Amino acid sequence: MTQLQIPVEHTTLENGLRVIVSPDASAPFVTVGVYYEIGFRLEPRGRSGFAHLFEHMMFQGSENAGKMVHIKLINSSGGVLNGTTHYDVTNYYESVPSNALERVLWLEADRMRALHVDDENLRNQRDVVKEEVRVNVLNQPYGGFPWLDLPPVAFRKWPNAHNFYGDFADLDAATLEDVRAFFKTYYAPNNAALLMLGDVRPDEAISLARRYFGGIPAVPLLKKPDVAEDAPLEERRGEVEEKFGTLPAMAIGYHAPARNTPDWFAAGLLDQVLHGGRAARIYRALVLEKQIVVESSGGLNYPAGDLFDYNGPALMVTTIFHKPEYSAEATLAAYDEVIAEVCEKGVAEDELEQVKVKFFADYYTMLEGGMGSYIPRFGLMHYLACFSLFDGDPGRVNTVLQDFRDVTPAQVVAAASKILQARNRAVLFRRPSHNGGAQ
Amino acid sequence: MSGIVKSENAAVRTQPPALGPQRPVAWPARTAFRLPNGIQVVLAERRNFPRVRLELFFRSGNAVAMHRLPGLGEMTAAVVRAGTKSRDQRQVDEELRRMGADLGTSAGADTSAIAVSGLAEFLPGLADLVADLARKAMFPDRDFERERRQKLEELRIARTTSGFLGSERMRGVLFGHHPYARLAPTEKEVESYRREDLTAFYGEHYVPENALIVAVGDFDTMRTREIIEKQFADWKGIQSARPATPAPPELKGRQVHLVDLPGAVQAEVLVGNRAITRRDPNWPQLVLANSLFGGAFNSRLVMNIREQKGYTYSPRSTAHALREYGYFTVHAAVRNEVTAATLTEIFYEMDRMRSLPVGADELDDAKNYVTGAFSLGVATLDGVAGQVSSMYLEELPKDYLEKYRDKIQALSSEEIMAAARSYFDSVNAQIVVVGNAAVLRDQAELFGPVTEWTAEGKQRD
Repeated sequence: MTQLQIPVEHTTLENGLRVIVSPDASAPFVTVGVYYEIGFRLEPRGRSGFAHLFEHMMFQGSENAGKMVHIKLINSSGGVLNGTTHYDVTNYYESVPSNALERVLWLEADRMRALHVDDENLRNQRDVVKEEVRVNVLNQPYGGFPWLDLPPVAFRKWPNAHNFYGDFADLDAATLEDVRAFFKTYYAPNNAALLMLGDVRPDEAISLARRYFGGIPAVPLLKKPDVAEDAPLEERRGEVEEKFGTLPAMAIGYHAPARNTPDWFAAGLLDQVLHGGRAARIYRALVLEKQIVVESSGGLNYPAGDLFDYNGPALMVTTIFHKPEYSAEATLAAYDEVIAEVCEKGVAEDELEQVKVKFFADYYTMLEGGMGSYIPRFGLMHYLACFSLFDGDPGRVNTVLQDFRDVTPAQVVAAASKILQARNRAVLFRRPSHNGGAQ
Repeated sequence: MSGIVKSENAAVRTQPPALGPQRPVAWPARTAFRLPNGIQVVLAERRNFPRVRLELFFRSGNAVAMHRLPGLGEMTAAVVRAGTKSRDQRQVDEELRRMGADLGTSAGADTSAIAVSGLAEFLPGLADLVADLARKAMFPDRDFERERRQKLEELRIARTTSGFLGSERMRGVLFGHHPYARLAPTEKEVESYRREDLTAFYGEHYVPENALIVAVGDFDTMRTREIIEKQFADWKGIQSARPATPAPPELKGRQVHLVDLPGAVQAEVLVGNRAITRRDPNWPQLVLANSLFGGAFNSRLVMNIREQKGYTYSPRSTAHALREYGYFTVHAAVRNEVTAATLTEIFYEMDRMRSLPVGADELDDAKNYVTGAFSLGVATLDGVAGQVSSMYLEELPKDYLEKYRDKIQALSSEEIMAAARSYFDSVNAQIVVVGNAAVLRDQAELFGPVTEWTAEGKQRD
């Protein structure tokens, strides 16, 4: 298979800002990302949902670019922008015609240096975020399933287990003082990475980074709290009422091995064996053959992220929507047969070869793709940032596949036998309160 | 390169840097030709990633078979991937995995599609698979029944989803007896599908005369042309005549359609009217007017009801283009208490676009946004494939991509106001509100006569 070599150059400014550049002049656009190493996992207790609310505040104005100026300047340059909050990072990104690169850097530097917001902005965005939670969770069939439902069942430590979108009471309690404190603590150059991808020369990019960000002072960073979970002693179960949807659903989450360990590489491929599309074990057995399940999906760190974009406890998740004529227990028993078969009989050489090709192809798709083509190279940006912040080496984007290439069928089975144990998992049942047509 | 770089401690700039000249956007060259059996083929090379996307379209979707059975195009597409004379479903799925590929088979109102994306080195195998599915699908009973059941369950869930219920009602209201009025079949209709309905749709519409192939990616055009010819040149079949469609209704005055979704904790608000297709010469005017109104983050609607008033997270307006007709919608999911207030602001912003000229700066900003966002597609494989496909499906001029930017840049404030007057028809706009009817009824009644609907799509007395 073709091996891809992505050009990557990187440096660290004196203030600790990591700067990563990947040039590609094939189209006159540049994608810029600023990643802060703070996500919803480490938001303050009593302030669930705050990391995400704060992300909204970053669009409300900075010292030299007041409310709406940021959005207006990007859109009117012919560009698009957004931000997203993840477990362990929050990102802000723009794709613009390459003549607007400097303007984007000015805007990003201005808000890294001096966020400038008031109570009115906070009230406004608190209202917006509540409607976001309603539209995505409270007013949706299976809203928050399983990314908000499963962690509280699977994990015991608050950072891993709380409501990441935020309880409304916590959102209401957030103050401007909280906003200032969070900004001061986490939104500093030495807790961030700046990425520039596309139509830009590395030397030019790095000198622009120095010009706009070089004067922003570093801050003393907090020691990272220990968020590792104790190994569970028995299977954990939970239940959530489904108010709209008509099918019973469940999510099974196995505690995943630690990042960059041999078991983790094997788990990446095991995940494909189990969840990689229609040819994968679970979909084939339960949806296509036994026809107990109507729809199934899954993955490591699914669905809020993927294998590479987290840095803490995570789950390998399967979601199942099953026919109401099968009980949850019968469905879970059929699922367990699939799991047992992998653990007992392993995976064939040929199956693993197929899975590897698909795994590598998906990786390339991710690097090339752009969130439905509106942010070119979004995936490359995301992985470069994660490899830089979590592993200290953005160049890993070119080497990481080798560790997966080397995985043997025996290693997959060994990992499966460790990971896919009932005591190592949490099962969340989402039970409809009514059942379609019959209401 | 690595290491510490010293900061130069430059003074902080208080003004944004000016924009330099923009590098021109160059869309990849397209090679277009027709095979003797009528298949139209368009190839575009994009060589910076080892990926390829191959799409086979048929210019028939749900609309063409609506008089027979709603949703037939979609159900046919769902089962078409379940195996052929020479490959069963499992072989199809494993072959795809072996080629690092994803397959999607789907149908909308006007088209059906078999599309694969995968590693470029497997293009011959991908073309072989797509051709086999298009020409020799078997429609096994077992897979048909499985897909039927999945569709039924999907419909039951859709009937609890306010977004679906809003779109369904808006399409019904805007299109009346025209096939575009039906967004989804009923459960009864899905239950009445027979395997022969699917094979009939397949036989009539999955034919070369009705087909468009678009391939974009890391390949050599001449070689790809040979691959396509080898797989498709000996295929025969002509498109049968299409049924005439009834005209959509004339819509006079504001009407309100309140869809009751018990248990809803938010109101889904839509305002819409019929507009134009992408082939209409005024399409660029509509696109730019829509962007100013509510098609961009930096638009009037978003500034008003999100950034100033905090009513909603994701307000948007959209110009929808189907093949025969287009329509315009405004959409916002808001907290119940501000349903009427939201409608008031939507109509205020519509009427402002109709009454007052857009200022020069705002117009320039919007032109830059529209042309920039359009051109961003050039930087990804899916972006290029999407633009090329829609260009050929909608039968737009061959230089559409290259001329688009100039067309938008040439528009005047007067043309935007004229477009708003024609296509943001606030006087005759149709209003759909989905949510807890008991809570929302009083607010809905402020905007016109109210018709109530159940989530099952039945009109209430």
